[in-house]
Amino acid sequence: MKRFFTYLKIWKLNASNTLQEFFVNRYTHILFYLGKVIRLGMSLLFLYLIKDQISQFSDYSPDQVIIFFLTYQFIDLFAQVIFRGVYLFRARIIRGNFDFMLLRPINPLFQALTDHPDINDALFIIPTTILSIYIATTLNIQVTLASLLMYLLLVFNAMMIATSLHISILAMGILTKDIEGLIWIYRDVMRLARFPVTVYLEPLRFALFFIIPVGLMITVPAEVLLNLTPAYSIWITIATGITSVWISLKLWKWSLKKYTSASS
Amino acid sequence: MHKYIMVLKQYWQNIFVYRVSFVLWRFRQFLSSLMALTIWTVIFTNQEIAFGYQQKQMVSYVFLVTVLYNIISTTSLNDLTGEVYSGKLSTKLVKPMNIFLALGFQDLADKLLNIGFVIVESIILFFIFKPSFIFPSLGQGLIFLVWVILATLIAFMINLLFGSIGFWSRDSWGPRFLYYMILDFTAGKLYPLDILPPVIQKAIYFTPFPYMSYVQIQLFLGRLKQDQILPITLSMITWTIGLIFISRKIWHKGLKNYTAMGQ
Repeated sequence: MKRFFTYLKIWKLNASNTLQEFFVNRYTHILFYLGKVIRLGMSLLFLYLIKDQISQFSDYSPDQVIIFFLTYQFIDLFAQVIFRGVYLFRARIIRGNFDFMLLRPINPLFQALTDHPDINDALFIIPTTILSIYIATTLNIQVTLASLLMYLLLVFNAMMIATSLHISILAMGILTKDIEGLIWIYRDVMRLARFPVTVYLEPLRFALFFIIPVGLMITVPAEVLLNLTPAYSIWITIATGITSVWISLKLWKWSLKKYTSASS
Repeated sequence: MHKYIMVLKQYWQNIFVYRVSFVLWRFRQFLSSLMALTIWTVIFTNQEIAFGYQQKQMVSYVFLVTVLYNIISTTSLNDLTGEVYSGKLSTKLVKPMNIFLALGFQDLADKLLNIGFVIVESIILFFIFKPSFIFPSLGQGLIFLVWVILATLIAFMINLLFGSIGFWSRDSWGPRFLYYMILDFTAGKLYPLDILPPVIQKAIYFTPFPYMSYVQIQLFLGRLKQDQILPITLSMITWTIGLIFISRKIWHKGLKNYTAMGQ
């Protein structure tokens, strides 16, 4: 428990530093924030236009499709808030700054993953979550207490998968010195899950469930919330979450053994 | 002209140093196109007409806009702000070249490279979604070509303006992010603009963005009336001249402010 509070304190310190950086570039961040508002607004407008025009979207109603989008919005944003430091990792590897992370008596993986939380997204996630809950209450969907609780469990599982993907990307960064392409591929693949991934053609659909499992992160939880039969069972989804974390940690430890300082 | 051809070749050489990054970038564009085409195909699964479009028309629209947007949009100037702010621009300024032409050829190199990949991606998407379209008449084809050139100039000038920010600040990513967000939804990349409410459509037409893919595809698909062609052409010419004037003015003002120490 003491260890947990120590790490919490470290995270708070990092968040405080990032917040100060945020205020230094406040005008830029206002524009970023505005861009995100426009993107969310236009996406919701598009979904409501679809709702107005069609009665069925593949096997789902337009209201159900909105739930898929809102689930994507929350999970993607939450991962950004926590794991933004991953985007800076390449520079640390190339300049040799990762050496300092290894020297400190703090888990280097914890530092690499969380030392730069995204304040902009942290400020964005609060109103968008409130808006999402409000939108969900206006939709014609069937949600029960059991499905809601299972949804929350699967969202937690999605966070575990997101964590494992970010750890894997860090490990690849150590091995290849280039992670920017990978992290942006991850973001783009996540975007595919704004809509239920069951609508995509094979073999893309399979890849979205089991290679970069955004289907298990977003589509399955949303289906469970809506009391629909999920594309894959809840147990497969949870097992994938646990296994992916285990594999990514093994990959991370292996990559650390291969690390050679690039600079000093 | 030889020296500008060298700029073009040098740009390709730099890109191919990081060829995996470039291939991943193209893969991301391909995923985006695949998503848009899949979603629209699914929307039309249970009905023939939606938003005033038949399924074939909509799939053709999204297919064509995917190709065109990749050609018109510019990424080669994304690092210009950093070059200006850090002083790296000096190496370009001291060369006996027109800086605008050099940047233009750099952009042309980027476009030619992207077009090569776009052709391959389009063939794959064509066989998956099988869009159908009738090619426009020679006259309309020429207008289409002129509009594409004007749109390319508009995109280039806007990016030059973002690059000019470097004369005063190192941070252009905020305004650039906002620009790309607006462009994504107002250039007709994900859906045709005429599905939007009329008020939003009218507001969008006060910006240069609908002229950066949407109108060209509408012309190509024969969805524009004859009397719309002249006003659109005039608007595009006005935007192009206006942006050339503004970007040159700001660039020259920035150059007077420019200092590059330690280079």
